[in-house]
Amino acid sequence: MRNVKIYVIDNGGQWTHREWRVLKYLGVKTHIVPNTTPYDEIESAGIDGLVLSGGSPRIGLKDQLGRCGEYLEKGNFPILGICAGHQFIARYFGGEVKPALVPEFGKIELIVDGEHPLFDGVPDRSTAWASHNDEITRVPKNFEVLAHSEGCEVEAIAHKDKPIFGLQFHPEVEHTEFGVRIFKNFVKICKK
Amino acid sequence: MFDAKQFIEESVQLIRKEIKGNALIACSGGVDSTVAAVLVNKAIGEKLVALHVDTGLMRKNESQQVKKLIEELGLNLRFVDASERFLSALRGITDPEKKRKVIGELFIRIFEEIADEMGAKYLVQGTIAPDWIESGDKLRETIKSHHNVGGLPENIKLKIVEPLRDLYKDEVREIARELNIPISERQPFPGPGLAIRIIGEVTKEKVEIVRESCSIVEEEIEKAANLEIMVLPWQYFAVLLPLRTVGVHGDKRAYGYTIAVRAIQSVDAMSGAFSRVPYEILDKIATRITNTLGDKVTRVVYDITNKPPATIEWE
Repeated sequence: MRNVKIYVIDNGGQWTHREWRVLKYLGVKTHIVPNTTPYDEIESAGIDGLVLSGGSPRIGLKDQLGRCGEYLEKGNFPILGICAGHQFIARYFGGEVKPALVPEFGKIELIVDGEHPLFDGVPDRSTAWASHNDEITRVPKNFEVLAHSEGCEVEAIAHKDKPIFGLQFHPEVEHTEFGVRIFKNFVKICKK
Repeated sequence: MFDAKQFIEESVQLIRKEIKGNALIACSGGVDSTVAAVLVNKAIGEKLVALHVDTGLMRKNESQQVKKLIEELGLNLRFVDASERFLSALRGITDPEKKRKVIGELFIRIFEEIADEMGAKYLVQGTIAPDWIESGDKLRETIKSHHNVGGLPENIKLKIVEPLRDLYKDEVREIARELNIPISERQPFPGPGLAIRIIGEVTKEKVEIVRESCSIVEEEIEKAANLEIMVLPWQYFAVLLPLRTVGVHGDKRAYGYTIAVRAIQSVDAMSGAFSRVPYEILDKIATRITNTLGDKVTRVVYDITNKPPATIEWE
């Protein structure tokens, strides 16, 4: 996967640098850039995909996420949003994000609902690590739900026509059993 | 994957370019600062002084062992006993962030004093990724101010060099193995030392209690791991809680502190799952701590939270 270039947009997450590490270990050319970076700079770098990291902004309380909206609007490459990035994607495309009644911190059981290239090789049930105060309460029209957990109905989403995905849990964290596999699948999608 | 050999080569080249003249490294004796010291020593040799400061907040016999290690590695050792200075700087302070900042600042002042003496302009630190990630920045919240990043004072005379900034502990351990550093598998120990394993004010008496408790936890868990009764955790230690509870010792009432035992599995300190320490080991730990510390500790509890939501250390 030497020739794939995927940037990580830093939304201030504790695990942004882990996303960079996982991509680097997969042989991807990667770089962390702040979420204030103008879109043109990202596009002119000739990237094959973009990861929108998590962070402390409360998407459920209408906080902003730098220029992530611009990336979603103009981007013509696959985009994977994680945690706050995932919630922001849902809000941007007309869904709804609210504070979770019961937030998830730490270990969850991830339940995959059906087949999808992003979850290729990931069993129906596995352990994942999450850390979020807010959650998607209404999925935007053109999106489907790919996974859930006991405490959160929307653990993963995908756009029906575009390569835009969101994960509420954290695939970049060592304790997420099939996290690297999910990243591999995303890299494969970016490679196409 | 991570290529330790390649990292060492590139890093030594970069350090040679970056450091012109004498440099000082703050060496706690942990994996990170020891690896940084050996790398910089490879790059600039004798011009590097490895300074170990006894803060009085180190574990049992730790400073002695660290001095020995630094000498065995052929580094230029300088040792400072600053235990009284640290204790008096911490007097009356209960807020964990304040503790970390006071310690971070005092470290720097001591480094500056020594650097002045030896005409060094550079301070090398063994900072790794979780240190600056958790310390926070423009985009990131502060989870805790690591003494070597968020705990640094604003005015520092020295230029800071951090060759391991983008690495995690598992990668630093790979470098340590490649360099034949004997402590490559040593468990992490925070820079502020036992000060952040005492909830509330740090006093000499409490340091002694938590030091003894940490030593018992380490001994029992390492023994059990050697006997393959359990897997050696990523980190395992004791925390002193200022909470006093009632005990009964030889038909007499006792009223002592609480010790919390923490043992956690992790690879990079960024996430963790509490260790399933067998009950019989926990039993031994609790009995030894309460017997050894008499009426000073009347209760021992075990921490069963993962990271997140909790952090590994309590402060």
